[in-house]
Amino acid sequence: QNQIGQADISMSRKYDRRTTTFTPEGRLMQIEYALEFINKRVPTVGILTKDGVILGAQKQQKSKLLEVEKHSEKMYAIDDHIVLSASGFTSDANILIDYARKAGQEHYLTFKEPLPVEQLVQLLCDRKHYYTQFGSSRPIGVSFFYAGYDRYLGFQLYCSDPSGNYSGWKAHCIGSNNVNGKSMLKDEYKEDMNLEEGTKLTLKVLCKTLDTTNPKAEEFEIVRLTLDEGIPKISTLDEKEVKDYLEKA
Amino acid sequence: GILSRKMSIDTYNGSSMIGMIGKDCIAIASDTRLGVQLKTIDTNFKKVFKATDHCLIGMTGLATDVQTLASVFRYKTHLYKLREGEEIRASTFSNLVATTLYEKRLGPYFADPIVAGLEKDHKTGKIVPVLATYDLIGCYQKCSNFAVGGTSQNMLYGACESYWKENMEPDELFEVISQCLFSSMDRDCLSGWGAEVYILTPEKLIVKRLKSRMDQF
Repeated sequence: QNQIGQADISMSRKYDRRTTTFTPEGRLMQIEYALEFINKRVPTVGILTKDGVILGAQKQQKSKLLEVEKHSEKMYAIDDHIVLSASGFTSDANILIDYARKAGQEHYLTFKEPLPVEQLVQLLCDRKHYYTQFGSSRPIGVSFFYAGYDRYLGFQLYCSDPSGNYSGWKAHCIGSNNVNGKSMLKDEYKEDMNLEEGTKLTLKVLCKTLDTTNPKAEEFEIVRLTLDEGIPKISTLDEKEVKDYLEKA
Repeated sequence: GILSRKMSIDTYNGSSMIGMIGKDCIAIASDTRLGVQLKTIDTNFKKVFKATDHCLIGMTGLATDVQTLASVFRYKTHLYKLREGEEIRASTFSNLVATTLYEKRLGPYFADPIVAGLEKDHKTGKIVPVLATYDLIGCYQKCSNFAVGGTSQNMLYGACESYWKENMEPDELFEVISQCLFSSMDRDCLSGWGAEVYILTPEKLIVKRLKSRMDQF
């Protein structure tokens, strides 16, 4: 009864070999499987405040034998004014991030102006969508949080998934236990929050989704996009700052 | 006005530029004239650009290519920083300039760059100045004393050869590079109308705007 590979009741398995095929219920199983994977990954939170955007994630526990990494595995600067957080297959994410970085510089080369945030989101989503309609490739198994600033729409927060769909958010949460995270955000997020309050809430939500009563500062990675005298700035909180916020949260 | 004589593409806009090595410092100076043959249309035209905090690139030649190349180098150095997580080093950048120019081997940019930067030698910890000059298709030439370029190039060679000496401190370097530039620039009808001098030390970048003879001849 529980043998893997046997046709199950919904018959989805017969229609899940390719993204280019719908199931009788109108579902694309490959995309849903990708989302399943992402929902088991470490929790990530994004919060939009009036003076900045905050992205927070749990740092995955790593083996002591691993070399110390120079770059973060989750948070990636795309340009001076956009930072992404990647959830899912890191190797898939790396390709898209390099594509995004090139797109940012191409735009600047032509227009001498930073790439507007939503345009970047659409470029990456169109790329992701391609693999859900064409060829025999699997979808790109990554969900992104985009935190950015441009002179057209100010501070923005978006989230995209392997299907290539995206939405703009005031506050959102993905990864494991995201249901708990989302309900906490619904209760506690306020539109006129400032950066400090937003950072506190980010850590509060992360602690809840991590299901830990004893959070340690080195377990979290918090990145903030703010304006420094009108110029966008991406900064990572160091361990001491995270500890201070954890005590306040 | 439109000249009846045949004009050359590398003297169409006019420019003068010097790069000079000092003691643990480096300087680059250029004029600020933009002309259309003999007509001056801008007296505040930028020809020296920051590649990174520790590396400058100045370009002589066709002004549109100077500007486009500045944008292309910005593109490449920004991508480098995003991918590598640190700014490109001066010696690495000087190689990037050569390959970028050679990419257009069969339809070149009509610009001759001079790269002036500082970097720290990892083994000895000493400050190493980086000075390089190129032709329009990327012939890379490392310089140990000074590099010159532009429409007054030949006169600049003579002036620099006479006044350059080793181990000049930033103040003296500034004086020497400015005087060499002025004496040659003033004799060249296609360069002039002011000068910009950049002195790069390990601690800071000093930029000075100088007023030269504000005329053509």
